[in-house]
Amino acid sequence: MEADMGMLAIGAGLAVGLAGIGTGLGQKDAAAAAIGAITEDKSMFGKAMIFVVLPETIVIFGLVIAFMIIFV
Amino acid sequence: MLLPEPMSRIVIVGNKQRLDEAIDALYGLKLIHLIDHTTGTDEGFSIGTPRPYSEKAAQRLLSLKAMEKELDINDGTELDVKANAKEIRAKISSDSVEATTEEVFKVLDKKNSIVQKIAEENSKKEELSRISSIPVDLELYRGYNSLAVLVGTVAADPSAAVAGIADSEFFISDNKKVIVLFVKKSEKESALRALTEFEFAEFFVPEGTGSPAAGIAAADAKITEYKVALAEAEKEVSALREKHGNSILLMDEEISIEAEKGGLPLRIATSDYSFVIDAWVPTDKVSTITNEMNTRLGDNVYVELQEDRSRDLHEVEHAEDRFKETPTHMKNGAYVKNFKYPVQLVDTPKYQEINPTVVMSIFFPLFFGLMVGDVGYAIPFIVLGAYGLKTAKSKDFQAIATVLFYGGLWAFVFGFFLFGEMFGMHFVGEMIAGDAAITWQGLFHLDFPEWFVNIFPHTVDALGHDHYGVSKLLEVTMLLKLAVYIGVIHIMLGFIMGFINVKMQHGFKEAFMEKGSWIMIMTGLVTAAWAATEFMIYVKPIEGVVLYALITGVVLLLIGIVLAVKKEGGTAVLEVPSLFGNILSYTRITAIGAGKAGMALAFNYISISMIGLGLMEALGPGLGIIGLIVGILMFSFLHLVVWTLAILSAGLHALRLHYVEMMSRFYVGGGKEYEPLEIKRKNTKIVETEV
Repeated sequence: MEADMGMLAIGAGLAVGLAGIGTGLGQKDAAAAAIGAITEDKSMFGKAMIFVVLPETIVIFGLVIAFMIIFV
Repeated sequence: MLLPEPMSRIVIVGNKQRLDEAIDALYGLKLIHLIDHTTGTDEGFSIGTPRPYSEKAAQRLLSLKAMEKELDINDGTELDVKANAKEIRAKISSDSVEATTEEVFKVLDKKNSIVQKIAEENSKKEELSRISSIPVDLELYRGYNSLAVLVGTVAADPSAAVAGIADSEFFISDNKKVIVLFVKKSEKESALRALTEFEFAEFFVPEGTGSPAAGIAAADAKITEYKVALAEAEKEVSALREKHGNSILLMDEEISIEAEKGGLPLRIATSDYSFVIDAWVPTDKVSTITNEMNTRLGDNVYVELQEDRSRDLHEVEHAEDRFKETPTHMKNGAYVKNFKYPVQLVDTPKYQEINPTVVMSIFFPLFFGLMVGDVGYAIPFIVLGAYGLKTAKSKDFQAIATVLFYGGLWAFVFGFFLFGEMFGMHFVGEMIAGDAAITWQGLFHLDFPEWFVNIFPHTVDALGHDHYGVSKLLEVTMLLKLAVYIGVIHIMLGFIMGFINVKMQHGFKEAFMEKGSWIMIMTGLVTAAWAATEFMIYVKPIEGVVLYALITGVVLLLIGIVLAVKKEGGTAVLEVPSLFGNILSYTRITAIGAGKAGMALAFNYISISMIGLGLMEALGPGLGIIGLIVGILMFSFLHLVVWTLAILSAGLHALRLHYVEMMSRFYVGGGKEYEPLEIKRKNTKIVETEV
């Protein structure tokens, strides 16, 4: 199947962009709560960070897919 | 090294007469993690009372702190010169604190009384200024037998209302806000009633003679005079700060130590004639402690080993409440201890579990280096990190510097030997027409010696072009696979450590059910996934190794799931896909590297074309040099952007891979750190063997 390079690029862009939006939606709530927690107790930083970065995997998957679309 | 140091619980019993010596000895050992005594745990014993000297120490400390505050001496300062603790003590015992306090507060009292006087004069001035427009001298406001003087503020002009009062004299200020009314004493009540309507509020007129204006002038003169005196007093204060500042800080440190030692009995048990101290100490130091205490106090002390605490949690269940928690003493080496901070950010490890710091110290910089993977970015990281390690005082900056330095070293290794690139450009390789990729060799027409070229892995791409050094963008498939393999190893390591932890805490059977099941699931998943890719992506027939791998994988996976469900319930099934997600999460190592490579490629293309155009004078006469400068500036700035992003993304993602993907497999935390009794001196030092 021959794919048009332009279409591939759009696909890659969508992969990163949509995944990024998803991650952002996920992180916004977690980060807000985490900042609240850290303000109350500084030692919460490590634990709070774990929860904040959890949704980040989604955008990384998007990025990987984008690379695979373009380069593989 | 992987586990916290083994600890033992000892009890030290001694003669109360020699408690002071015992306290000195305990602090001198720097090994005793005290277990606070709680009332009612031992019959006949109660919490001790502070040593007699500690009350005096507390008083002196209070004076010193007051002086520090008044003289604005910062208590956290580290002095350049370390003073001899013995001299300081001699000074303290010759009542130097009291003498200094007296001297300092004499000056401070003088200064404060001047400040007070200035305030008084100022308020007098304010009172006088209210009646300054009323033509009555100050001595006329008081001293009458039959006259009443009403002075106060009003909201409106009451002239008409007071006009009817017989034998009265009325004055109002220019701004119609202040009135003065002289009436007969018998008329005072009715005058006040009349004034009430105008919201009359009486105020005090300062004593004195002459007109109010003259009074104000006199007050001004006095204020000027006092201000001179104040400046002098302030000079004296700063002279005192100069003179006593250091010695106050030194005495503070010394007396704080005394107060701390004196308060120690509040944490231990005492009876009429003896004291009892429960403590955690490193197991291999028990005999050292016993010997040292016996040498110092002879027959007056007895040290007994109560238990060598194992890592079995069942033992904890049977222990008395205050002996349940064993402090965690992490004995990290010189290199590993740099990575204690990121572990501590999550929690202190428990006594009964593997300390993740060692694993963190190996993989954290490795991941960072792999993500950065560029000589050009690595060198500034190393330089900055080394500088930070040497100079940074705060723990946070030390931790950042650690990552930058060791991560930078790995970034250099990977950047040179694996990727062979600097600022996103390979060292070796011809530039290909029509391709955006630039190489250093092509850029400067360099002729590298054979051995240098041979350092870099050599590949030939589909179009027949040679590449020296792995390209982060073209070899993305290989690098993604590499990242997944790293992930498998990393997570597996996490499970293995989890297995060891549970085995230590609850025994082999429990460990096999809880973590062994997951090791099986993981092995099965990886094997089956490998077989699946072989026939699905590379379209190989399902036979031979692929078939065996598939069968083994599926069987292991199923057994693992059955065991896990038995142990954890149905939710274990849901965890399997998330484990798969966790493994794939390591692809971020490649993705971030490739992302940065992509940015660097684009930035190089833009800025180097600009420099090229400048060099060729292609922009027009005279514009070449501008193009050149702009190009170089752009090159520097754009790479600075990539470099800064590298700190954030590579650092945070490397940290996250540890926190989320790995440590969640085995790390529980919630331990208490081992804090032996120890005197921390900043500004004073001990001479010879004296404690």
